[in-house]
Amino acid sequence: MTLKTIAAVTIAACVAAPALATGKMTCDAPQAQWKPKDQLEQTLAKQGWQVRKSKVDGGCYEVYGTTPEGDRVEAYFHPVTFEKLFVSRRGEVLFKKAQ
Amino acid sequence: MTGAGRLLGSRPLVWAVLSVPAVLLVTVALTPGADLEELLHPSGEWSARLLVVALALTPLSLLLPRNRLVRWLLARRRAIGVAAFGYAALHTLFYVLAMGNLGDMLAELGATGIWTGWLALLLFVPLAVTSNDRSMRLLRAGWKRLQRLAYPAALLTLVHWVAIHDGVGAALAHFVPLAALQAYRIHRLRSSAPAFSGRQT
Repeated sequence: MTLKTIAAVTIAACVAAPALATGKMTCDAPQAQWKPKDQLEQTLAKQGWQVRKSKVDGGCYEVYGTTPEGDRVEAYFHPVTFEKLFVSRRGEVLFKKAQ
Repeated sequence: MTGAGRLLGSRPLVWAVLSVPAVLLVTVALTPGADLEELLHPSGEWSARLLVVALALTPLSLLLPRNRLVRWLLARRRAIGVAAFGYAALHTLFYVLAMGNLGDMLAELGATGIWTGWLALLLFVPLAVTSNDRSMRLLRAGWKRLQRLAYPAALLTLVHWVAIHDGVGAALAHFVPLAALQAYRIHRLRSSAPAFSGRQT
């Protein structure tokens, strides 16, 4: 193995890096149909969630918070139906909606 | 070496440079309303990055024996390694403060991304504690064996990063070059030790 090989491997790793970084969940509803994020937070609060933070990721609403059961998680919801799609805790998948 | 070169290589300055990201991270952490969860990734990445550099220096010096930068860094490897531990400790502190209670931390301890991080931190402790001349003298040959814990710690760090994060890209960008350099080092050790291979037959 030579310097060239190591350089090539390094460059390949750096170039491939952004391509490999994908979201955990994607939603493809047109943005015009989305319901407001605040509304999702209110709905979740009524169900017993404690929402710490929410944002848009992969066209879904991504929520960081504590479930009614008391688990500190990161969860994805559909921006139109507010259906729960995916729940994970530190990379460990706790729930994934059946396709 | 010129006066400027001496100044650049002086221990206080090396430490000052290694502390820059930490100062920035702590400044952000102390801002009112700061979200400590947001600081987990950058603090952890600095720890992993410094660990990768510390472990890459020996194989790099085999590959580029005359390179002045590699030699310069190699002479300061201990500081880089201790800084890697410092960032891991800061990362853990941010995590503990962000979680805020033991129950939540225990609840997620079983996640691959979490226990690997704790274990890597545990392996880091004896490395950091013995990173001084006194320990080197006291432990003699055992010191080098002890410091080899850095390799399993690096492997755990990689698993921790990949398991916990959204994408594996950044983790691989750090660890693939290190793996390539270590592979080169093993290749060199094998090809330059005919006496050893002769004894095996």
